[in-house]
Amino acid sequence: MDEISIVGQVVGGSFGDIVIRQKSGTNLEIGDLMVSEENGSFLILQVFALEYGSQIQDKMQQMMSGVNLEQGIVDANFYEPEFVNYVLARIKPLARVYKENNDVKIPKSLPSFFNKLRLISKDDLKFLQKEKDSIFVGYIRSGSKIIKEAEVWLPAEDVFSHHVLIPATTGRGKSNLVKTILWHVLDTNKVGALVLDAHDEYFGRNGVGLKDHPRAKENMVYYTPSNPPVGANRLTINLQSIRPEHFEGIVDFSDPQFQAIRTAHRQHRANWIRELMITNVASIENSGDTRRQGEFAVGTMMVVQRKLRLILSLEVDEEQVIVSRHEVFDSTTKGLNTVDDIVRDIEQGKVVVLDTSRLGDEAELLVGNIIASKLLQKYKDAKASGELDRKPVATIVIEEAPRVIGVDVLTSRNDNIYSTIAKEGRKFKVGLTAITQLSSVIPKTILANMNTKIILGNEMKQEREAIIASASQDLSEDDKNIASLDKGEAIITSIFVPFAMPIKVPLFEDIVKNRKSTASTGKTKVF
Amino acid sequence: MSDIHLGFQKHESLQKIEQHVFEKIMDECISRKVDFILIPGDLFHVNIPEMRVQKFAFKKFREVYDAGIPIYVVYGSHDFSPVSNSVIDLLSEIGYITKVTRATSNENDTISLDFLIDEKTGAKIAGLSGLKVGKDREWYEKLDRGSLEAESGFKIFLFHGGVSEMKADSGMDGDHMPLSLLPKGFSYYAGGHMHKWNHQSFEGYPNVVYPGTPFAGYHADLEDNANGQRRGFALVEFDDVVKSVEFVEIQNTSYEIIEVNADNRKADSINQELVEKTKDIDPANKVVIIKVRGELTSGKTADVDISTIRDSLNERNAMVVNVSKNGLTSKEYSITEAKGNNKEEIETNVFSENIGQLRFDHAELLGDNGIKLAKKLLQELGQPILVNEKKNEYVPRIRNNALAILGLDKDDS
Repeated sequence: MDEISIVGQVVGGSFGDIVIRQKSGTNLEIGDLMVSEENGSFLILQVFALEYGSQIQDKMQQMMSGVNLEQGIVDANFYEPEFVNYVLARIKPLARVYKENNDVKIPKSLPSFFNKLRLISKDDLKFLQKEKDSIFVGYIRSGSKIIKEAEVWLPAEDVFSHHVLIPATTGRGKSNLVKTILWHVLDTNKVGALVLDAHDEYFGRNGVGLKDHPRAKENMVYYTPSNPPVGANRLTINLQSIRPEHFEGIVDFSDPQFQAIRTAHRQHRANWIRELMITNVASIENSGDTRRQGEFAVGTMMVVQRKLRLILSLEVDEEQVIVSRHEVFDSTTKGLNTVDDIVRDIEQGKVVVLDTSRLGDEAELLVGNIIASKLLQKYKDAKASGELDRKPVATIVIEEAPRVIGVDVLTSRNDNIYSTIAKEGRKFKVGLTAITQLSSVIPKTILANMNTKIILGNEMKQEREAIIASASQDLSEDDKNIASLDKGEAIITSIFVPFAMPIKVPLFEDIVKNRKSTASTGKTKVF
Repeated sequence: MSDIHLGFQKHESLQKIEQHVFEKIMDECISRKVDFILIPGDLFHVNIPEMRVQKFAFKKFREVYDAGIPIYVVYGSHDFSPVSNSVIDLLSEIGYITKVTRATSNENDTISLDFLIDEKTGAKIAGLSGLKVGKDREWYEKLDRGSLEAESGFKIFLFHGGVSEMKADSGMDGDHMPLSLLPKGFSYYAGGHMHKWNHQSFEGYPNVVYPGTPFAGYHADLEDNANGQRRGFALVEFDDVVKSVEFVEIQNTSYEIIEVNADNRKADSINQELVEKTKDIDPANKVVIIKVRGELTSGKTADVDISTIRDSLNERNAMVVNVSKNGLTSKEYSITEAKGNNKEEIETNVFSENIGQLRFDHAELLGDNGIKLAKKLLQELGQPILVNEKKNEYVPRIRNNALAILGLDKDDS
């Protein structure tokens, strides 16, 4: 090992908490990755704590400081100060890499005592080879240093079918990360995705976005309720596509209210919402028709009507036609095939971005629910008929995930499609990509099923604890590390990576800038 | 009017209806003294239809021409020709119709469209042809929309392609484009390709109209007709704006449709139901459509005996009997899929997976022997036609070889 590259030496500690002395002149950071060379293999270790060490007792140091401060003696140097005062770093082993075959194993032994360590370099990370059908998430990061040659690619099918959790607070680079992931998903047709874009930020209507991907025209479909840009689709869903079960676990209907909407569905089939909305409840009450009155309490019907009106933003015009204020829901002939079209696109490995920014919370989740239910059913059918292998893995990207998989939602209401997918979707190659600020309110059973977590910075201790407790690798010493993650810095913990990987997610704008420009085809022939 | 698909019908009586409906619409246009006719594609079923079709079409177009009614068309996905080698071009050359696609490909890889102005009304017409499976989408993506949208006056856009927002049923997968690809702000959008009457308005796109096929351009259209689909053309009144869009219905013929659900049933019971259902209908001079779909519990799908029913209906002077058994499968004889590393292996595995369900007295057709025989037969039937080999040489060659593999003589019945 080159003496110049040495940053420290093992001086003590125990497994998982090794103490090294930092070489003077170097500057170790929390999260730094270092390498301890052994026979035939090397250990990758990571700094998780830094502290001072000194050969002089504390009291003497304090006295020295006093002399320095009070008597103004500025030249109070020690003889060979680099020996006397130093920094101790506490490090933990992450992985053992066998040089012969680049095999990566979980380490089970300590580095040799007094072994000298150096910072990691690109050559140590050759095992991070891009495999077929994988997605790019970022570059390996050692502290705040980025190793650009070491790209981290995750196996797409495994990662997406086993669910992805992206926990972070605002401003830590969530949407940049999601855009980066989706950008690489667009490269092939191996992953289908439904993106419920509550802030209309992924497509790039006003600025850069997924639309700038060279294959966006083939592999991405964008739906927006109003004024779609050229080539985009109008997001219109016919009320006939909605069934009572789509409200389950999303809207807080009481049992009698659910009973009422189920009865309406049984009586009027596809037109149930329309019929329910134009029923004049007051006139039934005044008519004295006891048979009709007997079906449901008038109050129940009125509440159901009010809730549907609010959730779906519906109004009844003077000709008894139902209109939705944000134009997403239609009661006439528009949008009859939207759900089928979207599901088919996802099945073909496309990324479908739905601009749900104009919808209320519940309406957005309802739209997602309708599509996700159909998608899961199709994948279940494909499994039954032996065709699942041919389908691309599908993922549903949902923001503020606790709205649907939060513990309060799941205990107070029935399961909804999102929790069903979280629990059993992976058997059918359908997964969730859940983005959240509050991991602590997602039940442990669901968190444990999310087998890949891309952890961004989080200043809330409670949230960090929830993430650490459910991580696929031991992150018990990483609390401070997570708290100190800067914008765009992340840690990937997953059953599909050999160790918890610190990464730096590149700026999406830079990715777009660096995209390969497609060669101009010249003039187009028109017949 | 659109999607007339002249030349599609193979059956003589249906050919007559096809011709009659076309002529009736043209006569209606002449008698109603329309200012002009728009045909947004698929006027003919192929670019060069048989002479019979050309003959009656030319005759009628001549009459319309003589009546002073211009006809504006774009190619459809069926009748287009990349080298302007289509009957449309012939008709255009002699002046009976006018192609409206006036496109210029620019150096910056955009496409400009020029307007054509109808002399009598001053309406400005632009349009783009349709290509198969939405390959024309690229044109729309490259369209210089600014100049088209900035043009003032009464503007009509002719196009041939499905619009996703107006799709009425889930068929024709992957063959649609979003409405946003069309240039905005035209007064009227004359659409072809979707075969059912549809008139809708959207923000920035008033009056997007598909007249639909006036008779039938696909087999499924006949079934829709039998189920009451209205057929005809759109009559539009306008001055500075569209004042009305009326659907003018043109009757074509009478239909009977017999639908049978075969789910969880045996062929015998299906046959019985077919007899029952056809017994009391009067098929004379009608198009009779028989549709059997579902999954039989046992037996072969061929056990559903359509030929007897067909004969009986024909004896009772049915015009045409159209049978659809595409949706019919059998639990017993369903084909299980199998995997393999290559074509050879997949074929062997599929045969091995499925041969067990066959019940024959001939041992050579079962087990490993059966698999070998099936593979040999499949290989033989997959032989392509040789260079310079004529079809009447190719068919007997393959047939004789196949029979030899089966150990049969040509005369064996």
